[in-house]
Amino acid sequence: MSEHLQILLKDIKEPDLHTLEGYEKRGGYQTIRKVLQMDPLKVIEEVKASGLRGRGGAGFPTGLKWSFVPRDTGKPVYLLMNSDESEPGTFKDRVLLEKNPHLCIEGMLIAAWALQSNWSCNYIRGEYAYPYERFNNAVKEAYEKGYLGDGVFGSSFKHDMVTHRGAGAYICGEETGLIESLEGKKGQPRLKPPYPAVVGVYGCPTVVNNTETLATLPWIMQHGGSEYAAIGTEKSTGTKLFSASGHINKPGVYEVELGYPILDFIKNECGGILDGKELKCIIPGGSSVPVLKADELEGVNLDYESIQAAGSMLGSGGFIVMDETTDMVEVALNLAHFYAHESCGQCTPCREGGHWIEKIFKRIAFGQGTERDMDLIKDLCKQIGGHTICPFGDALITPALSCMKKYPDEFKIKIERALNGNPVKATDLHYTF
Amino acid sequence: MGLSQEADRKIEEIKAKYPNARSAIMPALYMAQEELGHLTGDAIAWVADKVGVSPAHVMEVATFYTMYYKHPVGKYHFQVCRTLSCAIRGAKELTKHLHQKFGILPHEVSGDGMWSYEEVECLGSCGTAPMCEINDVYFENLTPEKLEEIIKELEATQPDIRYSTLKDAIGAGMKNTRSEVI
Amino acid sequence: MAETELVKITIDDKQIEVPKGMNLVEAAASTGTFIPHYCYHPDLSIAGNCRMCQIEIEGRPKLEIACNTMVQDGMVIRTHHTSKLVEDAQAATLEFILINHPLDCTVCDQSGHCKLQDYHYKYNAQPSRFEEDKVNKVKAQPLGPHVILDGERCIMCTRCIRFCDEVAETSELGMLNRGDKSVITVGEGQQLDNPLSGSVVDLCPVGALTHRDWRFNSRIWYTRETESICTGCSTGCNVKVAVRDNQVVQVKARYNEFVNKEWMCDEGRYGFHRFIPENRLLSPVLKGSQCSIEQALAEAKKLSAQNLYIFISPDLTLEEMTLVKKFIDSKFSEATPVVAYRKRELSELEAKLISPNFAANIMGAEAAGLVNGNAQQNYEDALAALRSGKAESVLFIGERSLFAEDRTDELLASVSKVGLSIGILADADSSLVRALSVVFPERVIAEKSGLMINQIKRLQYLDRLLDFPVGTESAWRILDRISAELGAKLTAAKNDRDFTLEFFASHENFQHTTIQDVKGQGIALDGSGETDSDKREVYSPFLTALGKY
Repeated sequence: MSEHLQILLKDIKEPDLHTLEGYEKRGGYQTIRKVLQMDPLKVIEEVKASGLRGRGGAGFPTGLKWSFVPRDTGKPVYLLMNSDESEPGTFKDRVLLEKNPHLCIEGMLIAAWALQSNWSCNYIRGEYAYPYERFNNAVKEAYEKGYLGDGVFGSSFKHDMVTHRGAGAYICGEETGLIESLEGKKGQPRLKPPYPAVVGVYGCPTVVNNTETLATLPWIMQHGGSEYAAIGTEKSTGTKLFSASGHINKPGVYEVELGYPILDFIKNECGGILDGKELKCIIPGGSSVPVLKADELEGVNLDYESIQAAGSMLGSGGFIVMDETTDMVEVALNLAHFYAHESCGQCTPCREGGHWIEKIFKRIAFGQGTERDMDLIKDLCKQIGGHTICPFGDALITPALSCMKKYPDEFKIKIERALNGNPVKATDLHYTF
Repeated sequence: MGLSQEADRKIEEIKAKYPNARSAIMPALYMAQEELGHLTGDAIAWVADKVGVSPAHVMEVATFYTMYYKHPVGKYHFQVCRTLSCAIRGAKELTKHLHQKFGILPHEVSGDGMWSYEEVECLGSCGTAPMCEINDVYFENLTPEKLEEIIKELEATQPDIRYSTLKDAIGAGMKNTRSEVI
Repeated sequence: MAETELVKITIDDKQIEVPKGMNLVEAAASTGTFIPHYCYHPDLSIAGNCRMCQIEIEGRPKLEIACNTMVQDGMVIRTHHTSKLVEDAQAATLEFILINHPLDCTVCDQSGHCKLQDYHYKYNAQPSRFEEDKVNKVKAQPLGPHVILDGERCIMCTRCIRFCDEVAETSELGMLNRGDKSVITVGEGQQLDNPLSGSVVDLCPVGALTHRDWRFNSRIWYTRETESICTGCSTGCNVKVAVRDNQVVQVKARYNEFVNKEWMCDEGRYGFHRFIPENRLLSPVLKGSQCSIEQALAEAKKLSAQNLYIFISPDLTLEEMTLVKKFIDSKFSEATPVVAYRKRELSELEAKLISPNFAANIMGAEAAGLVNGNAQQNYEDALAALRSGKAESVLFIGERSLFAEDRTDELLASVSKVGLSIGILADADSSLVRALSVVFPERVIAEKSGLMINQIKRLQYLDRLLDFPVGTESAWRILDRISAELGAKLTAAKNDRDFTLEFFASHENFQHTTIQDVKGQGIALDGSGETDSDKREVYSPFLTALGKY
């Protein structure tokens, strides 16, 4: 239905796209043949020129990330595809893995050539059994065809690809957590420095890229970096997948050009608010970014800079829409529970503080809040943010702080009722079993 | 003790795929779980032996990830997503339904060994909320009524809907399993 | 030592120069600024998880951890002394650590030497704002024969796990679960029973891991803690021993960069009592019956050098060894001195710390000139001389001068046939006592002080831990009295301390040495140590004899 350029979702509804035959029939695996003739450094230049930014959440320029990899260490360079898509509200990589796995493989091969890497691994979250099976079968097909293994596409380039299945840990989406997990350990993020580009998986230089990022490469290499850079805005180039969910009529994954107005996205792609209700707020980039209220959305566009200017982040593009009936205390509790459950347990502030915050939110939601609770949470958040090894600490505090900041009255009402001996009852809870 | 010969063979194959055999811990744990139902002491010992690491480190991995079961689960283990997108679209009703239907608490197993359930965190199926993963298969856009139908079908046909690391595939499917996200 | 490049940094407005590559905890320490830390340990890998050592670095957007930050030229650092941000972060970290801690100091063995107590007092000292239910975890779970876990007290610093992975390389320990459910465990089918297992208790900054042997035996503040060395083998691990009512209450490894880092073997740590016989010899014995010291001396005075074998305990102090040598040189130059010495086979793991020389001061014996040729061979030859009847008289200096395994009926029968046999011994129940003509009651090693030389030629100080029983004397004093009877007084010293000072005074190389110099980290006699670099030249000639151990 969209008039947006479809780079990643082109032909996505074709039932045979996930097969090698179906992919090749639609022009697949042509770009990699061309790329294998190029100077690897030229490939990096091209990706830099495209302005492509990491689609996993951090938005770090992909070409720049590649250029940090030292080429003279004598050690192998490893490429990891981060398909540990676990940011609440995000389900875009799943679509790519399920519907177009060969696009992902071609993207990985392009990156592998650019980095001169002979071994890559796609780390897919454990719950994605079906996408895992699809992707794994695609890898098998590619091996059978000689597109992987010794002498890729008849060249002298050797490349082996492994599919690794996670087992349920949000933190493995953090790149060093993913590396640890792949090494057969707990997915606890590493101290930096050293950075993965220098010391990554198995002690070797490693690049970890998001699935969507790598899947964009075939188009960029086919059409040229500058053409990609011409799409979107100046600093947020290209298209991006948004996973729309929540109180909307048409949830799903949509590819839009960056810079697209949020309100248009809600109206056109999302099909408006469910049951004709009013929009209350959105979370534009997965649960770890601040909430934006309906009245903050005017003039805000779906690109990194515009959303940042509005006080939130584009993140992974996990676009969660909430209608007027949504209870923000319970939203805060729901997400606090998520983060407390997913804390890896290494750093003191996150391990202890995450649960503490959850327990306080729970008290407030269950009608046992006290006057000082909100200040206490704010103070705890201040001491968690930036005080941990990985950005999980910041992810944890963001929804807590933004719900309280933007909807203080909802918290105050519950607390005041509790203080006045008329507390909300546990049975009044909407989302908590 | 130990696992099947097939598992012994498969783990060697998997180890060879990685630059370091230790990476095979997670697939090995899946295999042990597949054959033993949950991760028993024997399972830990088998993995430690095959991969060549200390049992303590295997246990670290086995307990860090939620998809490894340290205690028995039912033949059909329901995992209802409880995170935001599903929560605001009615996930609670699904859990409530399971609670009433099976008469057990989360992580408990029904007397006949058939059913168990738990609430889990975001399964990446927010656009088809609310949803529930049963063993390794997603059931999406659910209502308590649809869930009831699924339970009936499971009861009647008893399909294998686990992902088999040994066979690299999900067992036999069933109708009404998946919704198209696009 | 190779020249190290120095860099200039500023800590709390104070400019200092430190070697490149040093981390900020060490760099700050070198200027006297202590940065509190739990998970950091100089000899383990860096975990960076406790977040106690956060500091502010000018130009960086957020606080950094000192343990994982290496000094860079021009770095400007602020610690809790000058940064409110750091002060608050440290206070917050402590509040976080303590929310799930049971606060059971009143029944905790660690109380009084606990880093949680110390740091909280110093860096937070506020009541907690936590009012929720605490997480419950495993309590009083034995991890192995020596160590017991209280999961609720654990702060997840992972020092114990890293020790087992990196030092012992036995990997018995792991951290189960994640988030606030994390808990230490031993692996399925495993036990924390490696030869160094007790070291994890020293490493544990809190009361999560405690000693099973010494559980609930005394509050640490009722004890006297003495810094000494272990005499189980010639590694000479530095220890701190807590004593109450003249009993060893706890043994801690004491950090010595050159000798034992902060590790110690279980045999040494839990085995202090093995050098203290249950039934002590408290008066001299003459032919099986108690006698006065005068009677005993009168008999001992008959000692002749003709085919005299002198068995020497390797636990004697360096001063004692020197006196034994003087004793021999003055009247018994034909005697054969032998040090009880037998090398022991060690496993690879034991060999990481334990010396195959289970002869604490064998190096001291050698330095004193008591070892001619192969010590082990000499000892075996002397035993053979006893058996064959070649030995006409024999002198045993110290309970450990004859190994327990050699005290066979057959050998003791040979001993009793020897013309004159004298012993300076501690164990009243020992079969050796009954086989000898005269026996003097000696003090055991825990009751003595003096100098020892360990296997890497480090001079260390053995301090007295326990009060000695009335009636006992140090071996050197007994030997001196025997010698005095024969008209050759060997020392003017009246106690161990004077004896040590006399030793320093009478050796040119030690003229300016004090006991205080030897305490602490000891002195490298071969010049390999980094401390005392000015003294190397002075000491090395003294030990030119040292070599083959």
